Amino acid sequence: MNTALKYRRAAVVVVSVILAAALQTTLFLRFRPFDAAPALVMLVVIALARHLPAEFALFTGFSAGLLEDLLSQSALGLWALTLTTVAYIVVRIRDRLEEDFSLLAPFVFGLTVGGITLFAVLGTIFGEKTLADAGFVRKILVPAVYNVALTGLVLPLFTWALGVRDKLNPYQA
Amino acid sequence: MWRPTSVDRPTGVFIGLIVVSLVLITVDLRASGAGIGGTLREGVQDVFTPVQRVVSAGTRPVAEFLEDLSDIFSLRGENRRLRDEVIELDRRLVEAENLQTRVAELEAILGVEAPAELDSIVAQVLAVGVSEFDHSRVIDRGRSAGITVDMPVIDEGGLVGRVISVTDDVSRVRLITDPSVRVAVRIERTGETGVLTGRGSAPMVLEMFNTDAAVVEGDTLISADGRFPAGIPVARVLEPARSEVGFSLRTTAEPTAQVTRIDFVRVLVFTRDEAGIQDLEDLERPPIIIPADEAPAEGESEEGLPTETTVPTGEGEGEGVTGTSVGEGGGG
Repeated sequence: MNTALKYRRAAVVVVSVILAAALQTTLFLRFRPFDAAPALVMLVVIALARHLPAEFALFTGFSAGLLEDLLSQSALGLWALTLTTVAYIVVRIRDRLEEDFSLLAPFVFGLTVGGITLFAVLGTIFGEKTLADAGFVRKILVPAVYNVALTGLVLPLFTWALGVRDKLNPYQA
Repeated sequence: MWRPTSVDRPTGVFIGLIVVSLVLITVDLRASGAGIGGTLREGVQDVFTPVQRVVSAGTRPVAEFLEDLSDIFSLRGENRRLRDEVIELDRRLVEAENLQTRVAELEAILGVEAPAELDSIVAQVLAVGVSEFDHSRVIDRGRSAGITVDMPVIDEGGLVGRVISVTDDVSRVRLITDPSVRVAVRIERTGETGVLTGRGSAPMVLEMFNTDAAVVEGDTLISADGRFPAGIPVARVLEPARSEVGFSLRTTAEPTAQVTRIDFVRVLVFTRDEAGIQDLEDLERPPIIIPADEAPAEGESEEGLPTETTVPTGEGEGEGVTGTSVGEGGGG
């Protein structure tokens, strides 16, 4: 990989994670259909981990999670652990996804549900009372549905931004 | 047989990062959110606030448009409900004015001074929590505006929450709907007290101390908690409740504040009476006064009256309702 592409990818990762966190906390301040919002940062981590080198993808998940932890009142490391796990699963399965694009939507749905559930369970184990929230099933499922709805836009956008060529990418000639 | 070489490099990095995460969680929990975690949070929030302001300014018109679009379908029903509400509020206004006049007259007769109004700081909500389980809001006023930790936050409907952390420019408010929040309340109609517990997006749970007192649908619950000024509307009872077996009286209530759609809020310049609350929390239960033996003994007074022994009870029974203050459990 040439140096320019490396810098481009690093810049895309930093900017996209910060922008996703900023959008997550501001855009969905009042516009919250069914009282839930997409898990944007998780979706961005999935989109980035599809194309980044394995270790870089894991560090991206960890850093994005750490940023979420620092912007919330949850214990430092909870989101880091969750998004590192999400990135690891993407790294392990991504080759199979490239072979069959029809798996992408169910994969994003399953991974979002799994990621948020992992966060909720870990939060409860570490005393955060996340599962004491009476609407926790809806709070796990609705963001996953929103993430699937955004998959068609976000995933090809990141494929283009990272300079990767694939069949899903409508931004490339 | 397992050998270190059988773990590939990504898996090794993954395991390493998981271990680092677990260490961070442990360290942060042991420090109870203070220490290096607290410092880092404050620093990152300070750096991130300008980004949130810019993104918020850019996305607010879009968010408002989408919000308006989703409201169109409910406008007709809401219009009808608001008309009914205006009629009811007109009637209540007349009643309130009459009562205000009577209270002023009685205060003048009794020589009682009217309670001074609390100062407040107006702020706008800048951001929400990063996840669906984060029941907090970031407001655009901080230490530089005079806000400190623990100050109550209200909107036009009633109690919204409490300030839990402050930086120079912004503050974080924990909403009363957070499952770790419990608020001591009083039913405005009857004066009976109870505890209101947050349950996230679901209606809050109200538990009454006096299980014989009936709770009626629509009853307004006002704050009776040492951390908030008394009398702030907190929630409205959703279902009537009557004790069936005399052991507990539970029902549900919804916040009077527009907790999920707040935009502007007021931070009340109110600090709780630390000494008073501390005394109550230490005491846990009032002491029981046990009369000493009636037979004359060494401790008997000259007048022949028995002495009294004070026995504190209820040591270490965990968090509980103490006097008029109720704690927040868990981290959140």
